[in-house]
Amino acid sequence: MLSFIARRIVSGVILVVAISVIAFLLLYAGGGNIARRLLGEDASAQTVAQKSHELGLDQPLISQFGSWVSGVFHGDFGASWFTSQPVSDAIVSRLAVTLSLVLGATILIAIVSVVLGVLAATRGGWVDTVVQVVSLVGTAIPGFLIALGLVVVFAIDLGWVAPTGYVQFTTSPQGWISSIILPVIALSLGGIAGVTQQIRGSMLDSLRQDYVRTLKSRGLSSRSVVLKHVLRNAAGPGLAVLGVHFVGLLGGVVIIEQIFAIPGIGQVAVTATSQGDIPLVMGLVVATAILVVLLNLVVDLAQGWLNPKVRLS
Amino acid sequence: MAPEETKMFNFRKRLIAAAAATAVAAIALSGCTPAASRAGSPSAAADGTLTIGTIVASTTFAVNNSAWANESPYLQAVYDTLLHADPDGTVKPWLATKWSYNADNTVLTMKLRSDVTFTDGTKFDASAAAKNLLRFRDGTSPQKAYLATLADATAVDPTTLRLTLSAPNPSLLSFLTQNPGLEESPAAFGTPGEKTTPVGSGPYVLDKKATVVGSTYVFTKNPKYWAPQQQHYAKLVMNVYSTPTAILNAVKGHQINGAPLTDNSTIPQIKGAGFTANGQQLNFFGLLLFDRSGAIAPALGNVKVRQAINYAFDRKAMLKAVGQGYGAVTSSIFSPDSSGYDKAMDSYYPYDPKKAKALLKEAGFSGGQITLTMPTSSGFTPATYALTKQYLGDIGIQVNEVNVAPTSFLGDLLAAKYGSTVMQLKAAPTTWETLTLDVLPTAGWNPFHTKDATVSALAKTIQSGTKAEAADAAKKLNTYIVQQAWFAPWYRPQQTYATDPTTSVQTQTGNAYPYLWSFVPKK
Repeated sequence: MLSFIARRIVSGVILVVAISVIAFLLLYAGGGNIARRLLGEDASAQTVAQKSHELGLDQPLISQFGSWVSGVFHGDFGASWFTSQPVSDAIVSRLAVTLSLVLGATILIAIVSVVLGVLAATRGGWVDTVVQVVSLVGTAIPGFLIALGLVVVFAIDLGWVAPTGYVQFTTSPQGWISSIILPVIALSLGGIAGVTQQIRGSMLDSLRQDYVRTLKSRGLSSRSVVLKHVLRNAAGPGLAVLGVHFVGLLGGVVIIEQIFAIPGIGQVAVTATSQGDIPLVMGLVVATAILVVLLNLVVDLAQGWLNPKVRLS
Repeated sequence: MAPEETKMFNFRKRLIAAAAATAVAAIALSGCTPAASRAGSPSAAADGTLTIGTIVASTTFAVNNSAWANESPYLQAVYDTLLHADPDGTVKPWLATKWSYNADNTVLTMKLRSDVTFTDGTKFDASAAAKNLLRFRDGTSPQKAYLATLADATAVDPTTLRLTLSAPNPSLLSFLTQNPGLEESPAAFGTPGEKTTPVGSGPYVLDKKATVVGSTYVFTKNPKYWAPQQQHYAKLVMNVYSTPTAILNAVKGHQINGAPLTDNSTIPQIKGAGFTANGQQLNFFGLLLFDRSGAIAPALGNVKVRQAINYAFDRKAMLKAVGQGYGAVTSSIFSPDSSGYDKAMDSYYPYDPKKAKALLKEAGFSGGQITLTMPTSSGFTPATYALTKQYLGDIGIQVNEVNVAPTSFLGDLLAAKYGSTVMQLKAAPTTWETLTLDVLPTAGWNPFHTKDATVSALAKTIQSGTKAEAADAAKKLNTYIVQQAWFAPWYRPQQTYATDPTTSVQTQTGNAYPYLWSFVPKK
């Protein structure tokens, strides 16, 4: 197991380095005149040249990359060109916000998908039909449309929650829930649809296995069979899909944070990329790559915990 | 029901009950936190908080690199300026109480207040003011050029400041009401936290603990402020909204007291939410005909072609189709606030495609002979480009569109890569600023450095003449530029600032945001 983890970590480090190099090259290739963008249309050519020099943009590309790498090894990711905030501060302060949305959505997806998937598989009939139709609709409607609909109904018309903004948990736990509930629901619906289908399918496969009949014939209750045996066997594929959805949620949260004006990683990623804020974008790329590598590692370990066959392989 | 089925039924019931309980708990927890309790709700104004929306974060609080316009609220919260500007642009005393020019307008002497202290305890005096001015001149602010003619700034005594200019700057006093006139504590110059931790003498101080950089900036009242009558609120909250939808939602949810609208199509909804749409015209929108010498677009070197282009557009239709009807049609780049403004120039070129075709014929071009290469950018709507192509096509001018990445668009235009383009530019509140931005051979938006004897002579009068002579020359210059068709503006779009029913505000001439002291709670 240790060698498995070590291999995964080494491959993860290589991946993060490769992503950093590619991202840096792409950003500079498509960056255009960043100093001009920073200063706007009224700045003189001399001021733009002075700003380029100040930011080191007049240096050769390899020199700029070297400076960035050197800074990273000293724990300095630089500062945002558009807010002057140190990149590490910007990421750390926003990561907690985004993770609260993504983890909240993941937990909601897991709970609701298991409930709906088990119900659809075990009950069948109209319940199964309804779950299937709802899943289809959930998959078909884009998250941002759901978000806009939720804002109009629950925030603007009913006034139950605020339409934009984020409240820190430490400031007000209730305010925190209030500020993330709509974004979490908007983020979750697509995932619920996908994972529910996966759980349902895996449950149906497992329910058809011989061991289920054997367990039932030995007098175990249906609840026990479903929860302790069938669901555990069906959880593996569901978990794999949930892991994929988690990564997908990191993408989906970009739009959701824009709509709800939530100061998370997604919001800053869009702003920084469109502005050409290279230090911040590079920091985000590295942070996201590390997060995804770690997540995949956790999912693999969880798969092994759930299914001994995975551990053996 | 068989025992097994009964157990399964019970299990399902529990599943459903668990799901229902989760949903109810979540809704109850969220529902019991009223939206109004959040910062920026309408009730917040009553408790002394002004919450406004902004569309950009603060780039820096270091004055020498600071940007004005969209970032002015952040800077005005924490810094004072040497002079103040009324909403109509009239310059008023502030840190400088009196001022006078020498005979040839190259030396400006200002008398300063002696009772002002920065929040770090440093005393404000003429030496601090001089250091700020010189540092701004040498910095990288987008408005750095405002002090381009500042040769030196010296402290004659603690309350007397002398500015020596290499040439007269008719807009200098106006510029000193903006970021060139901001006063930062010299003790903070070059410190590691200067860009994110402002040290000024302004009405508010940044609450770093409550601030989320790039998203929400919170300011609390400066208890030692020398002009407490300007502190209309105990606390300021500035929320950054990056999309029109987010602004609209914040308005509809009554989370903010004021915000600029980046999309005028939301005005009916804004009004429906009980907000007031305060409009003003800060820019001009249309075609810039850069290549007046015909260097890369030979046809544009002929004034009749440029005039034909002006006659080709139905400006009212453009305003309706592209600007949703919010704004005023014009053929001139001059702002109604500037001394050069002449109402007659707004309607100088009526929609007359026949006359346009005749002019092209007189210029020696028959249909289809002229092709203009223009850049397109995602910054403007596809309809804008489609209509441009259509109107020019109607008089026989073909448009070759080149799609340019948004990151390169400005740089390419200013590098004289295109002879003409669709563009929106600032309609500057002063004539001199219009000249330095768009007209003079050194102006950034004159990328082909067009020189013209008439323009030079009038510019000289505007720069060095008496007030009356300058005003007369400004109007003549406006007329000349319109007649020479240096540009083909369509309209001045309405810039809208929305305010809620609890807030009173006056828009600021030449600035996208009302100045901070113009926000007052309604009684």
